[in-house]
Amino acid sequence: MGLAVFYDGKTARRRVVSLVVTTASLDLYEDGETIASWPCNQVRQHPAAPGVLRLGPENPNSLARLDVTDAGDQAEVFRNCLFLTTGARKESTGRIVFWSLAATASLIVSAYVLVPILAEKAAPLVPVSVEKQIGAAVDKQIQFILGEKTCNAPAGAAALAKLSSRLSSVSPSKIAPEIQVISSKIPNAIALPGGRIYLFKGLLDKADNVDAIAGVLAHEIGHVRHRDSLRRLMQTSGTSFLLGLLFGDVTGSGAIILATRMMMDGAYSRDAERQADENAIAAMLALGRSPRPMGLLLSEIDKGENGPIPSMLSSHPLTTERLETFSKRTPTKEGEPLLSNEEWTALKGICEVKEP
Amino acid sequence: MTAAAAPERPSTPLSYSGNDDDFLRMLFKGSLLLIPTFGFYRFWLITKIRQHLWAGTQIEGESLEYTGTAKEILIGFLIALAILVPIYIVYFAISIVLGEKTPFANIPLFGILYVLARFGAYRARRYQVSRTIFRGIRFWMTGSGWGYAFRAILCDIPVLLTLGLAYPWTAAFLERYKMRHTYFGSLQGDFAGTGSALFQRVWWLWLLGVTGAAVLGLTIWGVTHLDPKDQAGMIFLITLFAILCVSFLSAAFLAVRSRWLIEGIRFADVALSSNLRKRNMVWLYVKAMFWFLTVALVFLAASVIFAMTKMLGLSGAQAGFGWASFVAIVISIIGYLTFVITLGIVHRYFLTRGLWALVTGSIAAANLDALEQVVAAGGPSGSLGEGLADALDFGGGL
Ligand SMILES: [Zn+2]
Repeated sequence: MGLAVFYDGKTARRRVVSLVVTTASLDLYEDGETIASWPCNQVRQHPAAPGVLRLGPENPNSLARLDVTDAGDQAEVFRNCLFLTTGARKESTGRIVFWSLAATASLIVSAYVLVPILAEKAAPLVPVSVEKQIGAAVDKQIQFILGEKTCNAPAGAAALAKLSSRLSSVSPSKIAPEIQVISSKIPNAIALPGGRIYLFKGLLDKADNVDAIAGVLAHEIGHVRHRDSLRRLMQTSGTSFLLGLLFGDVTGSGAIILATRMMMDGAYSRDAERQADENAIAAMLALGRSPRPMGLLLSEIDKGENGPIPSMLSSHPLTTERLETFSKRTPTKEGEPLLSNEEWTALKGICEVKEP
Repeated sequence: MTAAAAPERPSTPLSYSGNDDDFLRMLFKGSLLLIPTFGFYRFWLITKIRQHLWAGTQIEGESLEYTGTAKEILIGFLIALAILVPIYIVYFAISIVLGEKTPFANIPLFGILYVLARFGAYRARRYQVSRTIFRGIRFWMTGSGWGYAFRAILCDIPVLLTLGLAYPWTAAFLERYKMRHTYFGSLQGDFAGTGSALFQRVWWLWLLGVTGAAVLGLTIWGVTHLDPKDQAGMIFLITLFAILCVSFLSAAFLAVRSRWLIEGIRFADVALSSNLRKRNMVWLYVKAMFWFLTVALVFLAASVIFAMTKMLGLSGAQAGFGWASFVAIVISIIGYLTFVITLGIVHRYFLTRGLWALVTGSIAAANLDALEQVVAAGGPSGSLGEGLADALDFGGGL
């Protein structure tokens, strides 16, 4: 039996009490009178200064506290009160790790499984006007990243407009495609949400006839028709937003940057790619031209490049199967050339600005 | 005014008696657990740190007690996410729809976050205060987070317009708001510090700061006209010097302000005094800076060595490229995490625990007898503020 300090949780009055520890209860006496008796199995420990054992009742709303400093009493309490650390205060590290991992796993699953499904369902619901505005925002980012100028030498621009209108006539789209050549050396072509298509000068340089370029553009128009860019943008921003949460980026500012970057390097789904290929083949056949040159151009890029693989090819390398699809379909009746030789030369020179 | 305890009043020093080794052990273990839990363990670590600091703080031999739980602040964090994420998404959608017509499109978002930050700061204080138990009685707070945010934002205008000169008065105003809404059981708090008293103690720091900024500006202007070859070295020296000056000034300011804040606290007749020295605070900051720099240099050296071995390794074995780059990425990620966690340890050891111990050890309380009459009142507040503070990443250190 020793002395301890007791606070009843109702007043701040400090009371020095005698503590008697039995196997059943902690009994507190003040001036010989019992003032409290706590059943041992309902006593809980609270954090206190070094050397002090602070006890309280099981009920978390009660702030009654008993500070035991006597080493003998402390030992008695430890011997008799077996549930000192039971309850809310006891949280095993293993459980915390487990639930953190579970939360992380569910975030990752949502990011990679749920978000694509949602994007697939939600993309057709977005009004065209909104898609155009999204496209304008992405366009600004892309131009900033590329840092390249769009090319519009007058004769070349006229040829491009002619090619574009011929392709549009056989491949009608709710969102009008708007094709521009950009002065980048990478052989690539990308479609943005809202219908803008960037044909990179590097690809134009590699092509030796207009049919190859027309095929590539018809492929990109296919992406525009099916709103693949919007879908991919929604998917990548959703995914990177969720993954950003994991690293503590609540604002999602990182996600937006990442998503626009993905517009350039990321891949469409295999189905989207096949659909776009089908669109290209159908358009070329309707114009009475062979889709084969496009296949050849792609295979040439595939072989020749050892830098970063352009997005046209990153989703699925040009398999022999894909090349065959382009080659085996031939038009029943040959149509007139899409551009005259002069127009084709002008298109290839669209980035050449005449020195005044 | 800010009269400290009169000599005839009995004055009791506070003491900090937390065990350093225990704290470090807990800090290292908790910081390591941040890795496998993807940072979620921070709620438990913060709670444990608070429990340790509160329990180590003794007033007349009685230690404070922190009754908050990690689950509460985790829930607060989730609620904060549920509020913030829709705001970000709506904001993102609006900015896309408005498009290029709004060159200052970011301003409304910053405005919202600014208000939320002030709101969260007050509510976080409410949470922490209402989880503090002393002598079996709860501290608690009333007052509205929005009311405080409104006042705090109004106060920022004169502070900005006077380049900070108005700060002492706005600080006194806001502190009065906080303390008058703070209770120990049935006993209402008050704040007796005045703006002019703080101003008299900090005006020279302000003058030093403004002069320093002007000199720094002039020097930078001068350096831009220098030979590009000499620029790099000069810029390094200027940056180092600026960091040292800012650390010194902020440590000195923090010391003066803390002392002023503590000495203004009243609970009826109970008054606090503090003998916090500027040099002790500066010394604490010097130690913290030294460790921050050491950690940064060690990791810089390690990453340079790593980059060099990676280059050598890759040119040697092109065949194993896939594996080599995978291993390199994993090592980089682990290295980066270790770096961030080590910085966190330094921060929590010096600027959380060290600061707490320094300030607590400087305090003496007068007229503690007045506490005998206090009866229990008030209840615990919600943890949304803590969650906002964590999600917006302000004051999340403690
Ligand atoms: Zn494609």
